[in-house]
Amino acid sequence: MRPRKILRIARWEVTKNAGGIDRKTAAVVAVTLLVLGGAAPLVVAQGGVTLDEGFYRVGVDEESPLYPVVESDSTFAAQDPDEELGSEIDLRIRATQVVASDSQKGQAALAELRSSVDSYNDRVMSAESNQSAAFPVTVTLEYAERNLTTTGGTDTLDGGTVNDGTPSDSGTPDDGGNDSDPADGDGSDGTIGDGSNGTTGDGPTGEESTGDGSAGGIGGIARSLTGSDATTGTPSDISPPFPFQSLILAFLFVIPLNFVIQAYGSTMLSERLNRRGELMLVAPVSRGDIIAGKTLPYFLGALFFEGLIAGGILYLQPDSGSGLYALAAVVPLILLFLSATFLGAMFARSFKELTFVTVSITVGLTTYAFVPAIFTDVTPIALISPLTIVVRDIQGVAIEPLSVLLSTLPPLFTAGLFFVLGAGLYREEDMFTQRPIPLKVLDSLAGRIHRRRSVALVVILLMPLVILAELVAVAAVYPISMGLPQPIWLGLILFSIVVIEELAKSLPIYAGFVHNRYDRSIRSALAVGALAGLGFFLAEKGLLLAQLLGGLPEVQQAAVVSAGPTAGIGPAVGLLLLLAPLALHVVTAATSAVGMRSGRQGYAIGLTAAIAIHFLYNFSVVMLVV
Amino acid sequence: MFDDVRIAIARRDIASLSREKTIVLALVIQIFIAAFSSFLVVGLTSLYDPGSVESGELTFGVSGDTRNELNEAAREAGVEIEQYPTRTAAMDAFQRGEVIGVLHADASSEQIEVTATVPDGSIQSTLAVVKARDVLEALERNERTNRAAHLETNPVPLPPEADASSYFGFTYTVLVPLLLFLPPFISGSITVDVLTEEIERGTLELLRVAPVSLTDIFDGKALGMAILAPIQALLWIALLSVNGITIDNVLLLVVLVAAVALLVVVLGAVLGLTLGQRRQAQLLYSIIALGLFGAAALLPEHPATVAAKLAVGSQTTVTTATVFGLSALAVGLYATTRRYVGTIDPERY
Amino acid sequence: MIEARDLRKEYGGFPAVEGSTFSVGSGEVFGIIGPNGAGKTTTLKMLAGLIEPTSGSVSVAGYEAGESEMRHQLGFLPEESPLYEEMTPRTYLHFFADLYDVPDDVAERRIHETLDELDLQHRDRQIGDMSKGMKRKVAIARSLINDPDVLIYDEPASGLDPLTTNYIIEFTSQLAAEGKTIVFSAHNLFHVESICDRVAIMNDGEIVARGGLDELQAEYGETVYHVHTTVEVPDSVAKNGRYVRTVETMSEVETTREAAQEAGGSVIDIRTEESSLEEVFLNVADGRDSRAQSGKSADGSSSEV
Repeated sequence: MRPRKILRIARWEVTKNAGGIDRKTAAVVAVTLLVLGGAAPLVVAQGGVTLDEGFYRVGVDEESPLYPVVESDSTFAAQDPDEELGSEIDLRIRATQVVASDSQKGQAALAELRSSVDSYNDRVMSAESNQSAAFPVTVTLEYAERNLTTTGGTDTLDGGTVNDGTPSDSGTPDDGGNDSDPADGDGSDGTIGDGSNGTTGDGPTGEESTGDGSAGGIGGIARSLTGSDATTGTPSDISPPFPFQSLILAFLFVIPLNFVIQAYGSTMLSERLNRRGELMLVAPVSRGDIIAGKTLPYFLGALFFEGLIAGGILYLQPDSGSGLYALAAVVPLILLFLSATFLGAMFARSFKELTFVTVSITVGLTTYAFVPAIFTDVTPIALISPLTIVVRDIQGVAIEPLSVLLSTLPPLFTAGLFFVLGAGLYREEDMFTQRPIPLKVLDSLAGRIHRRRSVALVVILLMPLVILAELVAVAAVYPISMGLPQPIWLGLILFSIVVIEELAKSLPIYAGFVHNRYDRSIRSALAVGALAGLGFFLAEKGLLLAQLLGGLPEVQQAAVVSAGPTAGIGPAVGLLLLLAPLALHVVTAATSAVGMRSGRQGYAIGLTAAIAIHFLYNFSVVMLVV
Repeated sequence: MFDDVRIAIARRDIASLSREKTIVLALVIQIFIAAFSSFLVVGLTSLYDPGSVESGELTFGVSGDTRNELNEAAREAGVEIEQYPTRTAAMDAFQRGEVIGVLHADASSEQIEVTATVPDGSIQSTLAVVKARDVLEALERNERTNRAAHLETNPVPLPPEADASSYFGFTYTVLVPLLLFLPPFISGSITVDVLTEEIERGTLELLRVAPVSLTDIFDGKALGMAILAPIQALLWIALLSVNGITIDNVLLLVVLVAAVALLVVVLGAVLGLTLGQRRQAQLLYSIIALGLFGAAALLPEHPATVAAKLAVGSQTTVTTATVFGLSALAVGLYATTRRYVGTIDPERY
Repeated sequence: MIEARDLRKEYGGFPAVEGSTFSVGSGEVFGIIGPNGAGKTTTLKMLAGLIEPTSGSVSVAGYEAGESEMRHQLGFLPEESPLYEEMTPRTYLHFFADLYDVPDDVAERRIHETLDELDLQHRDRQIGDMSKGMKRKVAIARSLINDPDVLIYDEPASGLDPLTTNYIIEFTSQLAAEGKTIVFSAHNLFHVESICDRVAIMNDGEIVARGGLDELQAEYGETVYHVHTTVEVPDSVAKNGRYVRTVETMSEVETTREAAQEAGGSVIDIRTEESSLEEVFLNVADGRDSRAQSGKSADGSSSEV
């Protein structure tokens, strides 16, 4: 019965809107698309869009041997070498002598020139008749496992909850390889314990991945050769240049989603205006049916567009992959966009607000999608974004199924979370009135809470948001950390992480109380608090486990590194260290829970106490290790 | 008196925007991007910056019969090496973590064959590969010089090494235009909303009962929304500067943003007034705005490139001319649209 | 058919509906009246399963409110009757027929018949182009699309012109005659009077009085007697050649008769005027009647406070 209802609602959604677009609009849309479609080949014909054309000004003589290099690289604008260095030109080239202006820009120009010369030389050399003199060196690149057994002076990174291998951790200035990397929310209360349950340094079953692009995306050799697994090439085949191409490819996939969510957000919000959606709430259809039915056409539409784009690119690009991986990776991205829009439409109170929400979502998720994808060719961090898989598929690089999982599961999970939260608001009280946002937040959380046990589930579900918030906190503190002494910014980061985690544990409990899902006795509060703490602990450790199994290198190294000093500890103590974070989470969550029985002020008091406890715990652990 | 009316309309729209709490969200996101930019640049550069890694890590193990050539090349590339008698010895050292990678070079009949071994799947891999490449490219250059007799053309000599951030270009060609052109896009979108909302709610009638013409309404709303964008642009420029990303030609950039903002606001207003319905108008606005942005590639210089070059100080006359050209276009379109709006029959709503 | 027990709905600590208990028998027409903000709409929405009560329970046709089977038995008409403007009545009704699992052929026939009965023209015009009255008729047709046993109508005739209003009230009583159980709320007490079997009066979230119309009148109403006499008696007014004295009790009628006889005249006529529901309502609302304040109703059951 349910699928039938979903399909019926989907059909209605399509026909209703098709009826809504009158002939005039359709005509304008058609004309616009035609005109723009006609402009596209023109754009491509004139060489596409080069964003950095004429970026650096180079003063060079025509007689200089470097002149052809400058001319062939569109990043350079050739000018008279007699012009003033610094203000009018960034590089001055006389014969073979190159002088750069004394600025960041000058140095960047110099670096660009260097790599231009290299590629120019390679081009010239490939026209030579004596190829072995032109390319006197051949390289075979191999990747080899190695088992690190020491902790000495490595700048390995802590692989706790927060660290998916994001650059935030690598950038943290307190290097010198300590497990107490404060950027990690888990680090201080779980690292040591992790060491004892983490693997002792054996990575995934020692396969030697030769030229496998997915291992670190560094198999540049495999990439630039024609799709085969050959690993031999010239030195310049190693490590391709800065991937502008990936960026543009990634961008192409995200643009259609922007349009889709505009329309989707509109239709969701319009159900809320003038109580239009009220009748469907009375009908024998569930919220899930309605939401699924209304979302389905937009999901399929987006999938269709992305498929077209992928198909087009694959067709134009020789030696690309099958495209199946690309499509598989695009699905979670589409769902993430749709779910975020849905949640936004449930919270927005007017169309103006919805516009802001839609733009924010587009910007935010686009950043998420393609900033990591920029580093597709460079580091495994890129796997955070599903677009990395897309780009790799297009480039014809071999893709490990595991990396597909790694890329797609987090956004899928987050999309699910957003849909669940939004569904919590899909009811009469939240849809049609201007309910204040804090109350709505509680409603959305309580949507899933039917009894005490559900609290644990909701806390687990909230993990993506926790991670995201922690990342943002770290990113926010990082720029100012340069100017502050270590204890202060360390404390700042620790504090923000603690606050985020405590909120994540306590808000669902509070939502349940407000909605009378369980009674307000002390016993009940303690039980609920314990469950929330347990849920959080499970989610945290589960994530760590996933990272370990998923073979993210930093995590493994960190686990290894932390295993080092604890290798000599007996199993009993190890177990104790493992359970310490569990105790912490249970105690803090229970503290908040007991406090919130008496309402908002009690909640504030309980939460403050919990934050204090957690902070003290973290801080002391960090201080112990540092 | 008419000026007051238009300013009143503009002021009311801006005030209602500020009451909307979600504008805070959009602004926060933009602040985040601006702030994140420096973090992005600095944090990621350190990936490539050998200085952040202890020197012991950067040593390569070298073996094979062409060790000396490798030695020489490594010295040029600034990479430390440790020589080993056999490959096995070098690999052992690699496994023990004493060296970050192994370069084993043998001379074949005509070429030098190198087997480079780097750690598997970690950030260190990146570093190792980059350094290996540096060494091997130096080797290649030396060898080419040695074999110059066999070559028809000489390779171009390499300029000196630079101490540059790899993301300099990215910052100015992607980040800066993004931050500068996002506010105009939003402004245009809000213009559509602001007009269609009045029409759909029927409050346009109320405005008109007062001695306010449709043209006044258009003026007030368009100008109000258009002003917001350059102000935001100024804020982001300030934020970027604080983060160590210097921006040149601030005045020209603000003019550019204002011109683009006016253009899209006019677009939004026209769509809002002619279609009268939010959904259609927004859809068309998005398509046309983005399409125009892409089609702007047909201009001698794309607005994004203009922004990048202005920000980094590489502007040419074409660049500056484009700014003024866009401004003229914006003003011209605004005037034309204004006259068109005057001919619309307000009864149609 | 409908059982509501201790229904309570709080919005942020503020009780919109407090402790309502009532029941509606099968085939009955039950009216809920009260001023704006009394809690009528909230109560009806709880019956329809649209809102979850903060505490208490309600069952319809044996099912808990909100259960899927219950929804199939129910037809709901909200006060504002929002519709999907871009659809035509036919497509709109077919859509809801599908949602209620009504087979296509049955739906087709039912739509045709109902729209005929409601006298709705222009069935293929877009709803957005229709007048308010026509839109209301479409909404009513929708509430009947699944041929429910129970109808919940929130102010079905509000905001309509007198002609359409009459039509709808007539229609509703016809539905009642067919055996449907109807709960509806109204402002205009005249409508309620004409078709309700029993009535609940709500004020400030509580049911302050309930019962059949007769009982309520007896309890809260004021019956007055107009005694027409040939001669003037104290407290009478001249009217059309006779004198009329208005009294409230039968004993006063007696005293009037005696006074008239003493004055040498007689009583020509005694007219009984019972309060309209309007007046009953006003009495109750004002709490003029002490029994209303103690919360007892005419039929003896009490509303829990």
